[in-house]
Order: sequence, then structure tokens, then C-alpha cells
Amino acid sequence: MTEPAFLVLAAVTVIGSIMALEARDLVYGAVALGVAFLGMAGLFILLDASYVAAFQIAVYIGAVVILILFTVMLVGPAKGEAQMELKRVSLLAAVLVATLIGMGGALASAAAFPGSDVCGGSCDIQSLSRTLLIDYGTQLELLSLVLAAAVIGALTLAKAEKKT
Amino acid sequence: MEALTSFFGVSAILLGIGIYGLATKRSAIRILFAVELIYNAANLNIIAFARLRNPPIVTGQVIVLFSIALAAMEAAVGLAIIIVAFRLNNEIDLRKLTRLKG
Amino acid sequence: MAEPFPDPIQMTLAIMTSPLFLKIAIFPGLTSIAIIAALLTWLDRKITARVQLRIGPQYVSPLGGILQSFADLIKLAFKELPLPEKADKFFFVMAPVFGMVLAGGLMGLIPFSHETLISNLEIGLPVFLAFVTLSPTLVLLAGWSANSKYPFIGGLRSLFQQTAYEIPLWLSAIGVVMLAGTFNLEKIVLAQSKGWFIVPQALGALLFLITSVAEQERIPFDLPEAEPEVIMGWQAEYTGFFFLAAQGAGFIKLYAFSALFATLYLGGYLGPGPLPPLFWSLLKTIGIVVAVILLRGTFGRVRIDQLLRAGWTILLGLALVNIVITYFIVVGFPTI
Repeated sequence: MTEPAFLVLAAVTVIGSIMALEARDLVYGAVALGVAFLGMAGLFILLDASYVAAFQIAVYIGAVVILILFTVMLVGPAKGEAQMELKRVSLLAAVLVATLIGMGGALASAAAFPGSDVCGGSCDIQSLSRTLLIDYGTQLELLSLVLAAAVIGALTLAKAEKKT
Repeated sequence: MEALTSFFGVSAILLGIGIYGLATKRSAIRILFAVELIYNAANLNIIAFARLRNPPIVTGQVIVLFSIALAAMEAAVGLAIIIVAFRLNNEIDLRKLTRLKG
Repeated sequence: MAEPFPDPIQMTLAIMTSPLFLKIAIFPGLTSIAIIAALLTWLDRKITARVQLRIGPQYVSPLGGILQSFADLIKLAFKELPLPEKADKFFFVMAPVFGMVLAGGLMGLIPFSHETLISNLEIGLPVFLAFVTLSPTLVLLAGWSANSKYPFIGGLRSLFQQTAYEIPLWLSAIGVVMLAGTFNLEKIVLAQSKGWFIVPQALGALLFLITSVAEQERIPFDLPEAEPEVIMGWQAEYTGFFFLAAQGAGFIKLYAFSALFATLYLGGYLGPGPLPPLFWSLLKTIGIVVAVILLRGTFGRVRIDQLLRAGWTILLGLALVNIVITYFIVVGFPTI
């Protein structure tokens, strides 16, 4: 495992996601979210899932972040920001608690998952596409139906908004 | 294995940040950010477990591909709802959008 | 540390003469990208001028003003850099710079020949297209950060246009992947040793050319920077080095997309005879570049509603039809 690369990417991801929630301007928040997604794509590459990483960049940053940016610019950056009810310290508390729980669970399960350093033939694009199209073909079709339903729903919402 | 622990730790931290955002933020868009972060935490978890399993398995990547597609869909519909709510109420603070309250 | 610390001078020399560094620094990397982008600027002006019965640049050097773009480059690089007072400085500066970095990064994926390959990714084609999807975000941020009306309109137009044409771009590229059976760009080139993919993929190639011209925001799809309507659009507030970066990114994208087209449909670096593969790949790339520039001289600009309707209905439908045709080709002639 390449340790420096992991540390840098993990830092980018965590700092990006904190900035996404804490940046004063929503546009900066959306861009920080995009940076966090990029770091996440890097972590996926470290885990030998480079196709998922490309998909993550194309879908999350190419589609989701730009939709969010568009919405933020439409709604106006000044609107909708309100005072927080909890203290900012609670961020630290939440992160610490989650990390402790996560570390504990990981250490407990580390014996059950010893892990292997080389992924070999079971992580490449051929076996991924075989699994995706043969073993999970039905689910893929269902997913495309769900996506079509979502597109129609979003279009209906946009049309209804035009009438009022 | 140490690597598994560290990936798991990043995932747990992201989950914590996401839950913090859900609990404290009032803007609908920030809450969408938090939901996306939680999605990402889950994706990283699934991929890490599938990769660091012995022997590694590719099904985790397939599930994450599905998850990414669903997250994009959720963002599209959610943002459409936010835009409509803004047009109707001129407000995206979730605690002031009380029109649907029964 | 068991081993002694290596001599820094020797280490620097070793790094600088390593093949990967030379590829990144010289060809097909940074130096050649800069020179080719400058030459393409000249070619663009010269060919468009000839189409419109003008002469174009001619004074800066004896050879038809070929150094004009270098002179412009030097002039722009040394201009003062005023930032608009109400602009969001961070994104205003970062967006064009990152746009140029991104466009340059695309070149690292193109196989100009086997020896000059920087990265031979198993998933080269999706990575290239995923990088392309990042650019509307930067353009929108550039337009938004200028805090002025025309740039913002240009940024929004770019957002609509690029997201609408990304989907037909991916779908038309899938036909090639189905024929070659791989995402790897070099393997796609080698799969064309029996025949170029432009023959079974004529429809796909046409769609890919149209959508890639739209992704590059060139005439007839240059709505985000249309001078008569929105006064250079998202680039309106840029000057000096930032304008250079924005324009340069456009020309690097033209070069990268043309090289990708040559790789996917025209057999990349494959070619007959004693000439090196590099010659063939560059020749095909320049051919596509000239074709795209001729489009600029020939067609007028489309309207935004025409553009979006064509993108979401006709091009998307034809791309799906192309996939069905490719399926029958793959099933019917399994030897191709």
C-alpha cells in the first residue's frame, strides 16, 4: 500500500468535505465538495477500482457538482443560510466519535479480513464488466428504469414550476 | 491489516461529517451535500472491503457503480425539488418550509 | 537509512534524462503542446481568412506570418493583469489556469506512437471523456466569478451546451469500444490494423465529430463566447495571461479532440511505408484540425434552442441507432 499517496488523498477528501459544509459561500462549498469527490476518486484508484474512479469523476463532478452549482447560482448565494443551532465543536465531537467507532470496528474485523496486496485478475475491467452484465444484468435493467423514472420526474417538476 | 483500518477510518470520518451536516444545517442544499458525503462514505467502505477481502471480489465495484448512478439521480430530483420550493416560497431553509405540514 | 543519500545533481540529471520526463516535457507533453497550440492559432486565422477571401496574418515572418501567434503570445504574457474589483478573485484566477492544465492533461492519454505513450491506461477512453466533463464546471465558475452579466450568460450557455452534448459524445464513442472490445486507446489503434473503424462506424464518426466540436465551443457551436451576442461570453473580463490561458485551452482541446478522433476512427498511428508512426498520427490529427477549422469558415452560428433540441433529440437518437447498428455488425461479421 502506498502510504504517502493515501495520506494526501485522505487529507484532501476529509478537508474538502469539511469545507463543503463549513464554507461561508455556497459556491465555495460546492467546489469543495467537488474536491472531496476527486480525492475519493483517488482513493478508489488506490483500491484498484480505476473504472469506478473514472465513473465517479464523470458522474459526481461532471453532473452532480455542476447541477448543485447551477442551483446555487439560481437560488442566490445569500439565500437560505441560517444560523446553526449546535456549536461548531460538535463537528469535532461527531468526527471523533465516528472515527473511534470506525477504528474499533475495523480493528475487530481486521482478523476476519486479512487482505491481499495484489488484486490480480479479479479487479480488472474484464471481470468487472462480466459481473456487471451477466451476474447483475437484471439489476442493471431495473436501474435504467429507475433512472428513466427519475428523469421524467425531474422534467415534470420543472414543467410544473413553469406554470406557476 | 493496517491499510484496511485506514480506509475504514476515512470512511468513518466522512460518515461523521455527513451526520453532523444533517444534524446542524438548515439550508436544503447543505443537507444535500451531507447526504452525498454519506453516500461517498458508504461507497468507500464497500470498495475497501471488496478489495481487501481475501481473495478480492469485484462485486463491490458493481454495487458502487449502481450506488453512484442512484446518487446522481437523487441529486437531480432533489435539486429540482429545491428549485421548485424556492420558486414557490422564496426560501430554502428547511425549517421555514412548513406548507406541507399536516 | 541504510543507503547513502544520492547526489542531488546526479539525481536531477537522472530524472531529466529519463524517458518519461522527456515525454512529459517535450513530446507529446508540455513544449510540443505550447508550440502546436500557437501554430494552430495561426492555422485557424489563416484558413478562416482564406475561406472568407481575406489574407490573414502576413507581416510577422516571411512564411505567411507564421510567427504571428508567437508575437501575440509574448504580447499577452507581458500585459498588466487587472482583476475586476467586484470579481471573486480566487475562482477568477483559478478557472482558466485549471482549464489549461486539464486540456494539457488530455494529451497524455493519446497514443501518438508506441514509443511516445505517456500513460497506457486500460480505461484510457473513459478517463479522457471524464476529464472532458470537468470543463463546464470551470467555465461556469469563470463566468460566475467575473460578477458581470455577459460572462455569466456565457457560462450558463456553456453549461447547457456541454452537458447536453456529453451524452451523445459518450454514446457515439461506445460503438468503437464495441468493435475493438477494449477501452485502451492503443489497443483500439491496433484493432484497426485490418481496416479503419470509420467504415463500419460512419454514423458514429459523424456524431463524434459534431459533438466534439460542440464540446470545444467552436463555430457553429460557439454560443458561450459568441462575440456579437455576449461579447466573448465567459472570457469577456479576461485579459493578458488569463485570456491567453482561456484561448490556449480552447486550441489544446481542438488538438486533443482531433487526435482522439484520429485514434478512434482513422487508425491512429497505423500507416503504410517507411514513414514513422508519429508522422501518420500527426498527419491525421492535422487533417481533422483543418476540417474543423473549415467548419468555422463555412457555417453560421446556431441558436441556443436549436442547439439544445438537436442535442437532446436528434443526436441522442442517432447515437442510440448507431449502437444498434454496431451490435448487428458485431454479431453479423464477428471477424472484423
